[in-house]
Amino acid sequence: MSVNPFDIRTVILAKHAQHVVLIHFPIALFIAAVAFDYLGHWTRSRTLAAAAHFNLLLAAASTVPVVATGLAAWQWALEGQKLKGILLMHLVLGCISSALIWLVFLIHLRVRRHPEVPLPKYRLPFEALAVLIVGFTGHLGGFLSGVNGPG
Amino acid sequence: MRRSVSTAVLLVALGLEIAGLVAGTGNFAASAQQKPETAEVKIDNFSFGPETLTVPVGSTVTWTNRDDVPHTVVSTEGVFKSKVLYTDERFSFTFSKAGSYPYFCSIHPKMTGKVVAQ
Repeated sequence: MSVNPFDIRTVILAKHAQHVVLIHFPIALFIAAVAFDYLGHWTRSRTLAAAAHFNLLLAAASTVPVVATGLAAWQWALEGQKLKGILLMHLVLGCISSALIWLVFLIHLRVRRHPEVPLPKYRLPFEALAVLIVGFTGHLGGFLSGVNGPG
Repeated sequence: MRRSVSTAVLLVALGLEIAGLVAGTGNFAASAQQKPETAEVKIDNFSFGPETLTVPVGSTVTWTNRDDVPHTVVSTEGVFKSKVLYTDERFSFTFSKAGSYPYFCSIHPKMTGKVVAQ
C-alpha cells in the first residue's frame, strides 16, 4: 500500500499529518518575529516593531491548532497511551514552547496597548531562550517524524 | 480364468495402494508446508523488513523495533494493533486465518508492510 501525501483521505485518516504540516507556521512566524524585534530594538524602527508584533500575534494564534492536532494525534493515532522517552519530551516541550510564544506575545501586546510604556529589555534574552526551546522541540518533532532522523 | 481374476484383483489392490501412498505423501508434503511457524519483522530506519512476509496460517509474527524512534504496528483493516513500541520492544500476532494483512505505523503512515498468511 503506497501512501500519497497529497491524497485528501491520507491527510484526514493519517490523523497526525495535520500537526506535521501546521507546526511549521508558529515556528517560522515566531523566529521571524524575534528577528524583527531584535532588529527593531537596535534600529529603533517602529515598522520593525510592528512587524514583530503582528508576527507574534500570528505565531501565538497558530499554536492553537498545532497543540490541538498534536493532542489529537496522541489520542487517535496512539489512543492516549502513556507516553515516555522522546514522545513525552516532545509533548512537554511542545506545551512549554506554546506557552513561551504566548508569553512573548502578551509582553508585546501589553506595551502596544500602553504606548507610553517601553518594551522591557528582559524580553530579549527571554525571546532568545524561547527560540532555542522552540527550535529544540521542532528538532525532536523532526526526529520523530523521520525528517531529522536517520530515515 | 480364476488365476487371471486373482491377478487382476491383486493389480487393482496394488494400484490402489500406490495411489494411496502417493496421496499420503502429497498430504504429508502439504501438511509440512502448512506447519505454523514463527517469523520476525525488523523495524529499522523507518521501514519494516521484510516489507512483505508470507507465512503459513497459524504462524506467529513478531515485530521488533530496532529503530531509535518509537513506532507502532497497526493493521489497515483493524485486525491487530500494537501499543507504541520503543527501541527494542516487541509485538506479536498470530495469523489464524488465511489472507493478506496490510499494516502501517500510525506515527509514520508512510511506513507500510504486509503479511500474507496462506
